[in-house]
Amino acid sequence: MSYAYLFKYIIIGDTGVGKSCLLLQFTDKRFQPVHDLTIGVEFGARMITIDGKQIKLQIWDTAGQEAFRSITRSYYRGAAGALLVYDITRRETFNHLTTWLDDARQHSNSNMVIMLIGNKSDLESRREVKKEEGEAFAREHGLVFMETSAKTAANVEEAFINTAKEIYEKIQEGVFDINNEANGIKIGPQHSPTNPSLPGAGGAGGSQGSSCC
Amino acid sequence: METSDSEYFESADEDFQSDDEDTKTVRSVTNDETSEKCVKSATTQLKNVEIGLDDNKSSGKSSVDNVRKDDENNVSTSKARNESSKKLGTRLSKKSDSVEKHDDIKVVEAESPKPDVNPTSKNTISNEENLWDESEDWGHDKEEENMWDNDEWEAVDEPSSQPEEKVPQSNTAWGSWGNWGVSSILTTATQSVSSITQGITTVLETGIGVPEPEELARINQTEKQKLKELSPDTEDKSTGFGLNNLVMGVSHLTKLVETTSTKVISGGLDTLETIGKKTMEVLQEGDPGLKKKRAFLKIDQDKPVLSQLLREAKEKAEEENKVLEEKHFAKKAKNYETLFDDHQGLVHLEALEMLSKQCDIKLQTLLESYSGESLTEMQETMDQVKELCELPDEDEDEQTSWSEILEKLNSAVSEINIPISYKKLIDTWEETEVWLNHLKLEVCDERELHQQAVETLAQLTALAVEQFHKAGELLLVKEHRSTADEADSLVQLTTSLTSLIGIVAAKFSEKLNAKSSNSKNKEAINGLITTVFFEAANSSSYIQDAFQLLVPVLQVGAV
Repeated sequence: MSYAYLFKYIIIGDTGVGKSCLLLQFTDKRFQPVHDLTIGVEFGARMITIDGKQIKLQIWDTAGQEAFRSITRSYYRGAAGALLVYDITRRETFNHLTTWLDDARQHSNSNMVIMLIGNKSDLESRREVKKEEGEAFAREHGLVFMETSAKTAANVEEAFINTAKEIYEKIQEGVFDINNEANGIKIGPQHSPTNPSLPGAGGAGGSQGSSCC
Repeated sequence: METSDSEYFESADEDFQSDDEDTKTVRSVTNDETSEKCVKSATTQLKNVEIGLDDNKSSGKSSVDNVRKDDENNVSTSKARNESSKKLGTRLSKKSDSVEKHDDIKVVEAESPKPDVNPTSKNTISNEENLWDESEDWGHDKEEENMWDNDEWEAVDEPSSQPEEKVPQSNTAWGSWGNWGVSSILTTATQSVSSITQGITTVLETGIGVPEPEELARINQTEKQKLKELSPDTEDKSTGFGLNNLVMGVSHLTKLVETTSTKVISGGLDTLETIGKKTMEVLQEGDPGLKKKRAFLKIDQDKPVLSQLLREAKEKAEEENKVLEEKHFAKKAKNYETLFDDHQGLVHLEALEMLSKQCDIKLQTLLESYSGESLTEMQETMDQVKELCELPDEDEDEQTSWSEILEKLNSAVSEINIPISYKKLIDTWEETEVWLNHLKLEVCDERELHQQAVETLAQLTALAVEQFHKAGELLLVKEHRSTADEADSLVQLTTSLTSLIGIVAAKFSEKLNAKSSNSKNKEAINGLITTVFFEAANSSSYIQDAFQLLVPVLQVGAV
């Protein structure tokens, strides 16, 4: 399937917060209550449409286990977006956010869009982290915030797609250099960059090529 | 001077001839001996005027030349070359028009060059006129001064303010045709020309607009009167200009013509050009017949001819069809790389590369921290690991069976002591083998068979790469490393996998060969067999490359 761009995402966060479940819900629209522990990294891909353009999201679902931490770090490079996930029913996963954020910022490019996700919003009765806390953390660190439920699929689509929109906007603004694949953006096979310096001609009616940033 | 003038008329003649409708008319003008004579005499006069106008002959000439050049340039730049016939018509009419007006103005000017003398003529004077007023050298200035401007201002610019009054204008503005009509020689020519010009007049009237009839009448009246009063002066002036020889012995008609042509040239043809351009613009828009002619004569080079357009459209459509056909086939038949990517082979390979690179960096950092004996020791260890990972030369004669491969794979997995699994890979091949064994060759298209071969190769390679990637990750988190076993196991895995690729390629080509023997399409099928082997070779090298990426992983465990 042809696409205009390919965005590389990484999903990071403590083990058991539901990273793989979020991915499965997004790619397969299903929920698996019992999930094998992720080894190193697993992959998922889905095509989305933004501004009339086909965008392939290539998602790197990393292992949350401490043992794999050094390995997963090597995969951060070249990601355009990151989903930093914590479990609203486990406060420690929220407390570890700073470590994850530092890790992500250190091993990826500075323009990477980071979406903070408080997962398991369906388990309201067991909530340990208030939504306001998540919002405050996101505000403080310049992240986008959302509470999701991989089980009920609430906000799952939005989390992935809003991140893509944010990346797309950055492309339009010329923040991302599309010719540098270290930014986690690849141009689709049929879309060659014509004028990446031109900030968003806007609309699909503009130039398909010029927006390949 | 004469030659260039005649050239001018010749080219005009050509233009006329190209325009079938107007050809006759023009010929009547150009073929009329007398009229030619008139033109010639006018030309000669021009020469004289030129000489007489300025003491410095060359400067006078150059100025006239410049005027003409400008005009010719304008003519050529004006894109509607095909309409030069019409243009000439305008020019001719203008000529006749100027017979009167130019004379009048000249007279007025001669009488008193200041603009305040005659408010009417002042009316007709453009801003360019001011320059002229200030200048001292009459003769020279007359040459430089664009007398045609006066006409332009009357006929074109002023009219634009009053576009409604049409009929009266045509009567007054073109009234000077009467002068031509009187001369019996030119009657025929005039009539025909006037028929053109009348047409143009109509267009001009509608398109450009006309001046207030009262005002025009008044101007005409005053000017005519002045002409009457000062006609001797004009003759004197001519003498003064050195036109004496010519003026002598020529009839009233020639005089008229001579003055006309003198003014045509001296008056600056660029004004005519302006009028001509405007006329053409109007004509272009208003006359579909002309457009038709233009297309027929292929004169307008800027606009492609219809046949050309159609040819281009046809070529474009054919190209698009071709692309569509190719796309259609491409949709059905995915290439190896796409299939490899579809089975996540590419992304696993990419991740494995990142892992390998990370290990390389780690090793380099370690090497830098060591020195002396420990450094040599470490380098030796790394070399040893590399040696362990050397793949044995492929023994092409020896065909390993699938059961042998299966056995080797299982033993290798158990030896490496990490939870990697080739179950999916094994299942994939076994399913494909069953499919192949039950394949009815008569029913299966060779393309379908070939596509299945490529798909299988791509999928198996992707699965192999994935397991190498997993092996790398798992080895890095493994607590107790045993590099030698790991290396041996990985080498076994690699050789088993490349053997499997060989089997797959052989099995598919066997089927394709069988198909080929019963087919007329032998060459095409042979081509397909070649690509199967080509993709198999690709698959093997991908697997071997993936294995080589694991060498730093093993080295990290060894040091």
